[in-house]
Amino acid sequence: MPADRALRIGIGGPVGSGKSSLIAALCRELSQQISLGVVTNDIYTTEDADYLRATGVLAAERIVAVQTGCCPHTAIRDDITINLEAVEELERDQGPLELVLVESGGDNLTAVFSPALADVQIFVIDVAGGDDVPRKGGPGIARADLLVINKTDLAPYVGADVGSMLSDAAARRANLPVRALSLVEPPHAQPVAAWIRGQLTAFAQHGRLHSSATGAPHGHSHAHAH
Amino acid sequence: MSAGAVASLLLADSRFPAGSYAHSLGLEQAVAEGLDVDGVAPFISARLRLVARPEASLSVAARRAATAGAGGDPDLAALDDEHAARCPSPVLRDIARRLGSQLLRSAATAWPCATIDRYRSDSATTPRPVALGVVGAAAGLSDLEVAMVALYDDAATVAGAALKLLGLDPAQTARWLANLAPWIGAVAREVADDRRPVAQQPAPAAVGLELAAYRHAHRTERFFAS
Repeated sequence: MPADRALRIGIGGPVGSGKSSLIAALCRELSQQISLGVVTNDIYTTEDADYLRATGVLAAERIVAVQTGCCPHTAIRDDITINLEAVEELERDQGPLELVLVESGGDNLTAVFSPALADVQIFVIDVAGGDDVPRKGGPGIARADLLVINKTDLAPYVGADVGSMLSDAAARRANLPVRALSLVEPPHAQPVAAWIRGQLTAFAQHGRLHSSATGAPHGHSHAHAH
Repeated sequence: MSAGAVASLLLADSRFPAGSYAHSLGLEQAVAEGLDVDGVAPFISARLRLVARPEASLSVAARRAATAGAGGDPDLAALDDEHAARCPSPVLRDIARRLGSQLLRSAATAWPCATIDRYRSDSATTPRPVALGVVGAAAGLSDLEVAMVALYDDAATVAGAALKLLGLDPAQTARWLANLAPWIGAVAREVADDRRPVAQQPAPAAVGLELAAYRHAHRTERFFAS
């Protein structure tokens, strides 16, 4: 049964891994065909929301920012009421929307979205943050519905081995998907946009998605509709 | 010990997801305008006398009205108006609405009942003091317990924000709250024992906080929503 609300995708990952740039690129890829909005969880300024508005990829009123009182992980996991209110207000004021992207304020490797806030979630790391990050693991690396290894264009300059990052990630994630990409080289954000289109199709058909991030760590792929 | 008393611990626990971690209740702006560590305890005391106490009276009145009328009582709508009469600042009204809405959202899951559902659908403004009384009724709190939660939560929210805004020993903020315990206990008893309608009770104003809230809302750099 189709849901009567937008699909909610959480986008998390460490500070500086490229979440805002990825969202801007996704808006560019998707906003022509898909009615979407973005909620940002800025740490101190409204920089992320302002950046997105400045890119002009989305109408300014489709982007809302919430303050999280120095607790970005709380706002997406332990007490999601602020983000739930923001998502629902966005849908009410700008709706109907098909997709809402919720951008985490950026935190450590343990910060993942509550399934009550995000139907599915993308975890974004980058090659410059250290190519041992996939090996270190954590719930975002191991269980996010999609893992993005960003800024592959920088790998030669920071001595990162993308191949080992991919194989370490595969070992941590069993069959869950991983996309290594650069937003400054083709195919840009297209692999992530294609993954999101797949989620939208499944969500439209079934009205809900089963996230791999729900419950205890799984040894098998679970990012599919039930 | 009654179940209501235990529920009051849950409501006063910062782990209860009601969104207050993202609020400093005016402290962030006060610090930005020069308040230092030594000023925080007096700030908390001033809020307790001028803001939290009259709000606790509203919460107690709301608990009585919700208990008598199962949440649909016209008395609750009158209390929404009484809050607006005591809170002329549009900024602070909006914050009260959001905090009330977030509290009701989580409480509706924690204590599912018609009392909360009806108030959520009937009230356009859901100011937190009235919402707290409605939730107190649903969770089985006494007037005294509602008043204690209202007063303690205000003080603890500011103290928690102080830890993030100023360099502090976390035990020091606990000491401030411990020192306030006799005052909070005595005033909670006075508030609970006052049988006069709220319209006939004293309504002090914290004009400085109302004006500062407006300046805070227009800052481009801030951690907290209030």
